[in-house]
Amino acid sequence: MPISVLPPAPAPAPFANKPQYGHSLDDDFEDEDEMDIDSLPTGHQRTSQTILTPGQLVTQDPQWMRGHGTFPLEDRNSVTGIHSTLAGTLQKTNKLLSIIPLRARYTPEIGELVIGRIVEVQSRRWKVDVAAPLLANLLLSSINLPGGILRKRTSVDELNIRSYFSEGELLVAEVQQLFHDGSASLHTRSLKYGKLRNGYFLSVSGMGGGSGVVRAKRQIFTIQTRRGGEVDCILGVNGYIWLAKHVAEKEGVGMNKLEEAAAADTGMYSSQNDEIGAETRGEIGRVGGCIRALVEGGVKVEEGTVKRAYEASLEVDEVDGEEDYLGAERGRTVVEMVLSGRG
Amino acid sequence: MPLDSSSYSIAQLSTQAAADGSSYLEMGLTKIICTVHGPRESPTRSGSSSQSPGAHIETSISIAGFSGTDRKRHGRNDKRTQEMQHTISSAFSSTLFTHLYPHSTITISLHVLSQDGSLLAACLNAATLALVDAGVPMSDYVVACTTGSTASYAGDGEEADPLLDLNGLEEQELPFLTVGTSGGEDKVNVLIMETRVQVGRLEAMISVGLDGCRQIRGMLDRVVREHGERVLEARVA
Repeated sequence: MPISVLPPAPAPAPFANKPQYGHSLDDDFEDEDEMDIDSLPTGHQRTSQTILTPGQLVTQDPQWMRGHGTFPLEDRNSVTGIHSTLAGTLQKTNKLLSIIPLRARYTPEIGELVIGRIVEVQSRRWKVDVAAPLLANLLLSSINLPGGILRKRTSVDELNIRSYFSEGELLVAEVQQLFHDGSASLHTRSLKYGKLRNGYFLSVSGMGGGSGVVRAKRQIFTIQTRRGGEVDCILGVNGYIWLAKHVAEKEGVGMNKLEEAAAADTGMYSSQNDEIGAETRGEIGRVGGCIRALVEGGVKVEEGTVKRAYEASLEVDEVDGEEDYLGAERGRTVVEMVLSGRG
Repeated sequence: MPLDSSSYSIAQLSTQAAADGSSYLEMGLTKIICTVHGPRESPTRSGSSSQSPGAHIETSISIAGFSGTDRKRHGRNDKRTQEMQHTISSAFSSTLFTHLYPHSTITISLHVLSQDGSLLAACLNAATLALVDAGVPMSDYVVACTTGSTASYAGDGEEADPLLDLNGLEEQELPFLTVGTSGGEDKVNVLIMETRVQVGRLEAMISVGLDGCRQIRGMLDRVVREHGERVLEARVA
């Protein structure tokens, strides 16, 4: 694989080249207070374009309620104001003010699709790393046991717990429940979820902030690649991504047939990878490169952008007449093509 | 008193993509890389520590052998390093909102590449930037700087002129202290002095130190804002 050599970037300018901040700190604070909260549109997708930093006063107006990323502090005149605790942007939901950090770890929410890695096996549950502050729980009773979805969990299953998932294995699951301390409980009670194999794992930043995977209509989709057949993409909102060779879905799996399907699918908990052709591997690698280029370019990763980036990478290869990895210059070209295709 | 190192200090955020938060800070010739991992679940469930109501802050400092004027190996259980690690952990434990992350750990790793005075202060400032980058909630920046006293030891202390932000040579010669604050000037998190000085000089030194902290807070705040603007600019709506 060729290596792209980047020209050295100029060293960042020292502080002195910029206007002095120090002494007028308080005045600056006062100016920032005047941020116009009223004109900020309410809603989850909209945030202000002004950066708030830790300790900064957001507002002293008592009409606002304080949400995540804020804390109350009394000033010298014992007026309580809402202060920021994070570096981020302001989000308004009706009367609730919260700060969305520029970057943070993933915080689980119920119903989100996540990809996790088993860290620990306990007697009736697994501990799963989902890039959150705490490990998530996956109970033995919240997975599909082979031999039918409605089968009762028995003590034999408890003894064989490692035959379902053991340490280091990857799975896709949904957040079922949140606990008081912020840790999550997962479930895989759907045929969409379960153990991952035949593919490639990729970790980018998740919903916590910044670029990366965003919550979208579809987190699981299939890309029809040019030469390697179909590639499945699973974008976990926690920033973990799984790219795998497409497995044919069994047609007409309804609720009634779920049991049969599960029973028939003896390979559900297999850890053995299938044989994957070189071309499929190449295409999986290409999709991975596209996602990495998107993240580097600050573009959010979702079905549309990934598919466009894949098409763009093919075009770039055609123009260059060679296949190359999608770093640096070529990565930026792909991102530009994705962005221009959006308008 | 204007802050001397402001003319040759450099700070950057998000220097290492693999860490949850990272920073690079130069204060004069002292150069530090800081990475923050976490909050994440405490690796070992060693009895009472996992039951703690808030996140546990762990600090590890590694001082490169080539960082000082003479090449020296700094062991892992060097007493001075251990004390600095403890000081940094306790300085942040009151300012970070650790109660939001029960039984988890925040790991701060500091790598000293070059040292020329104000080592503890630079470590604290670098750690603050990395924690901001990691998105750990805090009530305010923790900022620190050093102050020294110029007058000769025999001289009468009262009119001695305090110095702000000493370099390595000055630290060897003069009595100095490190002061770290959060919340503007309201709260002192760290105050450490290892040398001896007349009591009369102390007050002036501390007040100069507090003023220095205020200026450093402004500098760090500007770095964070510029970084934030760059991130927002790059982000495509």
